[in-house]
Amino acid sequence: MQQVNQVNTEKKKRSSLADRFTRKKILSALEGYAYVAPTLIVLTIFVFIPIITSFQISLTRVAPFGNATRFVGMENYTNLLTSENYYHVIRTTFLFALGTVPTGIILSVFLAILLSYPIRHLSWFYRLLIFVPIVMSSAVTGVLFRWIYHPVVGYLNYALTWFGIDGPNWLNDADWALISVMIAVVWRQLGFNTIIALAGVQNIDEVYYEAAKVDGANLWERIRHITIPLLSPTLFFLMVINVINGLQVFGEIDVLTVGSRPTRTMLYNIYFDAFKGTPLRGIASAQAYLLFILILVLSFIQFRYVGKKVHYK
Amino acid sequence: MIDSQNPQPARTEVTKRSISPTDIGMHVTLLLIGLIISAPIWIAVFSSFKLPSDMINYPPTLFPEVWTFENYTTAWSSQPLFRYFINSVIQTSIIVVSQIILSILAAYAFAILEFPGRNLLFYLILGSLMVPFQLTFIPNFVMVSQWGLANTYAGLTIPFLASAFGVFMLRQFFMTLPSELYDAAKVDGATSLRYLWSVVIPLSKGSISAFGTFAFLSAWSQYLWPLVITNDTNMRTIQIGIRFFLFDQERGADWGAIMAGAVIALLPTLILFLVAQQQLVKGIASTGLKG
Repeated sequence: MQQVNQVNTEKKKRSSLADRFTRKKILSALEGYAYVAPTLIVLTIFVFIPIITSFQISLTRVAPFGNATRFVGMENYTNLLTSENYYHVIRTTFLFALGTVPTGIILSVFLAILLSYPIRHLSWFYRLLIFVPIVMSSAVTGVLFRWIYHPVVGYLNYALTWFGIDGPNWLNDADWALISVMIAVVWRQLGFNTIIALAGVQNIDEVYYEAAKVDGANLWERIRHITIPLLSPTLFFLMVINVINGLQVFGEIDVLTVGSRPTRTMLYNIYFDAFKGTPLRGIASAQAYLLFILILVLSFIQFRYVGKKVHYK
Repeated sequence: MIDSQNPQPARTEVTKRSISPTDIGMHVTLLLIGLIISAPIWIAVFSSFKLPSDMINYPPTLFPEVWTFENYTTAWSSQPLFRYFINSVIQTSIIVVSQIILSILAAYAFAILEFPGRNLLFYLILGSLMVPFQLTFIPNFVMVSQWGLANTYAGLTIPFLASAFGVFMLRQFFMTLPSELYDAAKVDGATSLRYLWSVVIPLSKGSISAFGTFAFLSAWSQYLWPLVITNDTNMRTIQIGIRFFLFDQERGADWGAIMAGAVIALLPTLILFLVAQQQLVKGIASTGLKG
């Protein structure tokens, strides 16, 4: 009898404990959802849903002389992909990425190697001078370089005269306009790239260099056979990030050349079609999708073919 | 030769060795390269103090012949540059504060609380980082304009109130906090909000301020969104303002005033960088590589 009683109270105790436990669990789960909700709501409204609406818009066209939008299927896409003009825009975008990504990475690795040299004093100061482009916005970068590129009193052309070079009219010369924008963008991204590269260089164990020195390797051999291979995860990261950023440069193009034909990249063309003159949002959205696909494909190719060759410790 | 006074091997103790010719060479090289890289900023700063006649002298000089504040008064008065600056301060503050608060809350839930679907929701948020802004800005523009929010602070900031990057970065840090701390707080009867407020946040000040610095830099530098969502002159941010200021002033070739405007636009981020350089560099290096 007593035993049965004991078992009963035990059961009661346990079930009330379990009750409290599940209540607590539910409350804690609700709390979790409540904290995640604001972020999730903002991202849903401004990122996830627009992925779909953007595609819907890309299948439409505004009829001339009126506001009626009509469904045109894939017509915007086929028109773009067969357009001579759009081919030029794609070509400019690729040229831009090809010109800026390797230059930016090589420069930042070079600077990182220099900065990793152990000097006793002032290293904070040199870092400050070299990292400082990180504070630049694309608009201000554009404004500063417009002054530096000034055809008559510009500092760049003046500096070139020291070497006996007669500088071009950078921004208005069809052969130089894109290169001018590239220089400005490489400069703005130099701070970020060098910070990443320096962290990578400093991650390399001193032991490898000591061993190489014992083997009589010179500075170049040490850079070529130790720094570069052991830096490959960093280089890979820099490449992926810089390709993505390079395809999305906008501010410098707008400020330096207002998207003149030689500098009209895919993103600038989207802006131009959607917001300049008659808004052509259908064809602009189709371009946004093409650019998105291009970014995904390029990232995939990099991970598939380059990522494999990366040395991880 | 280098260490004739110091018999100990120089390589092992970097801090103790005396200055070698290579060191001097490195100093010179680094100084020269540093000055070349930062040159556009020096040029802008010194140019902004030049007289108009001085600006168009050939060959161009770095330092002003006569120092003047005239360009700053022109920049401040001839266009509502002051208004643009205030607009940017408001826009950036709203974005930074909101991103910090929302990211802390979500990161805390993902790192410490337990609830069904936690990982799924986290990967969903992480996945949004894959979606480039150019894919979403046209529908966002249509939507925000339809809400009547074009040319308002709400319209300028609403798409950026949350940050997937911030959630990711802070979650990484919150997960390094020992779980014993949480258990102890629970035993003491602390609610999880209280634990967040009096334990997690004080311990994460470094990470939170590193994220705040990022958020500030990117919000202040925004270009495409403020360009399309504002067409009222009074609602432009400083970045867009400086673009129109450039195109207006260039006709009058008042480059001194343009440079003054550029310096005003870059001053807040420059000051932030000088103050928070170490944290920013550490933050970039760690999230860039370990992320």
